[in-house]
Amino acid sequence: MAANKSQGSYLGVFLLALTVLSAGIAYFETGFGKLTLAIGAAGLVASMLGFLNIKPLEGRTAQRPSPLGAKLVGACVSALGWGLTLIGLHLTPGTGGRIVVALLGIAVSLFGMLYVLPAAFNKNAVWRAQSGSPERVDFRAVAKTTTTTVEETR
Amino acid sequence: MKPNRSSCLSLCILAIGLTMGATASAQSSPTAAELKNAAAKAPTTADLQKGDPGGTITGTINDVPVSDSKVGPTLPDVANQVGQNKIGINFTWTLIAGFLVMFMQAGFAMVESGLCRVKNANHTYMMNFVVYGCGLFAYWLLGFAIQMGGAAGNANLGGLNPLSSEHTLSLFGKTWGLFGQTGYFLSGHAYDVGVMVIFLFQMVFMDTALTIVTGACAERWKFLTFCVSSVIMGAVTYPLFANWAWGGGWLSQLGSNLGLGKGYCDFAGSGVVHSVGGLTALAVAMMIGPRIGKFNRDGSSNPIIGHDISAVLIGCFILAFGWFGFNPGSTLGASANGNLRIGSVAVDTMLAGCTGTFGAMLYMWITKGKPDASMSGNGLLAGLVAITAPSGFVSATGSAIIGFIAGVLVCVSVAFVENVLKVDDPVGAISVHGTNGLWGVLSVGLFADGTSNYGGSWNGVTGSVTGLFYGDASQLAAQLIGISTLLGFVFTFSFLLNLALEHFVGHRVSVETEVAGLDLPEMGQLGYPEFVFRPEPEFAAA
Repeated sequence: MAANKSQGSYLGVFLLALTVLSAGIAYFETGFGKLTLAIGAAGLVASMLGFLNIKPLEGRTAQRPSPLGAKLVGACVSALGWGLTLIGLHLTPGTGGRIVVALLGIAVSLFGMLYVLPAAFNKNAVWRAQSGSPERVDFRAVAKTTTTTVEETR
Repeated sequence: MKPNRSSCLSLCILAIGLTMGATASAQSSPTAAELKNAAAKAPTTADLQKGDPGGTITGTINDVPVSDSKVGPTLPDVANQVGQNKIGINFTWTLIAGFLVMFMQAGFAMVESGLCRVKNANHTYMMNFVVYGCGLFAYWLLGFAIQMGGAAGNANLGGLNPLSSEHTLSLFGKTWGLFGQTGYFLSGHAYDVGVMVIFLFQMVFMDTALTIVTGACAERWKFLTFCVSSVIMGAVTYPLFANWAWGGGWLSQLGSNLGLGKGYCDFAGSGVVHSVGGLTALAVAMMIGPRIGKFNRDGSSNPIIGHDISAVLIGCFILAFGWFGFNPGSTLGASANGNLRIGSVAVDTMLAGCTGTFGAMLYMWITKGKPDASMSGNGLLAGLVAITAPSGFVSATGSAIIGFIAGVLVCVSVAFVENVLKVDDPVGAISVHGTNGLWGVLSVGLFADGTSNYGGSWNGVTGSVTGLFYGDASQLAAQLIGISTLLGFVFTFSFLLNLALEHFVGHRVSVETEVAGLDLPEMGQLGYPEFVFRPEPEFAAA
């Protein structure tokens, strides 16, 4: 699909809604602020629904669906490491103990970031597709037509 | 009545007090007379009309604004002018440093575009251009208030007293700052000269973090999603962590609340700016996937060569120049409160960039046989990123060591990200900013030498920042907690926000757009229309 007028319009709605939402937060103490906040939030939801509506027009990307559950597990493991560090602050009064717990928390977070998440994303990666599979053939066909189009345009 | 001992004592104290008062009065009279005398002796308008080629008679007591012209200059007038001079010097210093940091956007644009292919040059330049507006707008709306809304108390910039509301949480008997609550739209009491200065300076820092992501996701990021993602990062993700570190938030309170050194210390933002940007870049690059043709079916990678190495190296120089605003400017002043350390901060910055270049160049030369130009450039940037947090606290030798390690580390990290994680980062942004940002944060806890004295305290804890190698292990603990927060909170938060955007907007352009190059489909114009488009070797062989 590439960039188009619909994208520009919905981006405009998003920015306007964010502005209204921010005004609502700034004046939240007043009734006007609460109303503005609600209008801004509704605008943000509308812009997101607009984005979602035009998303299929983009066409096929060089990605294949990867397991959402594994991605969420990876994110949770990363966050868990931080939680461990925070709990360690309370449980261990000494500097040495806090250093050890913080290092443990960092290790857990790194495990989630550098092992669980990449495994989730790379499980069905396009580059793993067999040569001759639909994705590979499509890429080559696209490359040929695109090359022709660009050269003709020139 | 016979006077007792206490009455005598009272009389003595009264007599001493009267004597001191008389002395003070006697001292004030000559001072006032001296001021009048100096005003009378100052060069007249007629003298100044003759010109002052030597600069010896311009700027006298007659230039001091007086509260009452009939009385002439008084001691309070002079004292007020001294105070305003201090703040004026600090405003000027901070603003000029902010202007330098703003110019770094040009350096980032050149580095990132130079490392991309011709067919994506316009798109990459445009992302670097528009990220400035996206970030600034979001920061003005929300971000600044979240980050700095409770940051009152900075003596360098006149107190910043309007920024006085921090949302806090009481936990385990201590109060912890979570986010600021004043300064939305820079309106109300935030319409203040000092607040404007800190807004400009902090805004350009935030924008640096945002532009890091564009490099890692170059050549396949949908422009629409880039805009939305950048706005959200500038409004929420960056300001939240920046508040915790710089805005009076809980990380900065680790020293005062738990006795961990001087709290989390990040002088100019290895963690706040570079790690936040680098970790967000990792989250989005992982999600968006590698460019077509980057990885083979067996997992091995293909080099995708950038189109303009000269732009890359010039961009690196522009960034190194801008870094003199980044680090020395982070004193937020040049006058009083230990700010004369700016010379040391600037030299540390230069040295770490220098040794970072050597670290990367030698690593590549020894292991690959050539002094790789793009990795040498990344080595310079890695050294600069790593010294950003410790630059205000370490010696020249410490900075040279930190920079050299960063230079080697960036090469190792680039290979790890590409070959082990299978994450495609066209410019090495994750390694330069993410990995070395974390190294910079850690190095404060190791190399801080305890000689800095910014007004006698840091983060509200008396004394100077001292690392493990100079005897304070508790500072290392504070830095590790900061690193854990960056990895566990910032990365996860960025990841989830962008996962939601993946669902609603979609991060990646279509296959057709990617193969054709993003310039025409996404921007409507080729970056270099005269260049002949050549298909990727993989497709040409089909």
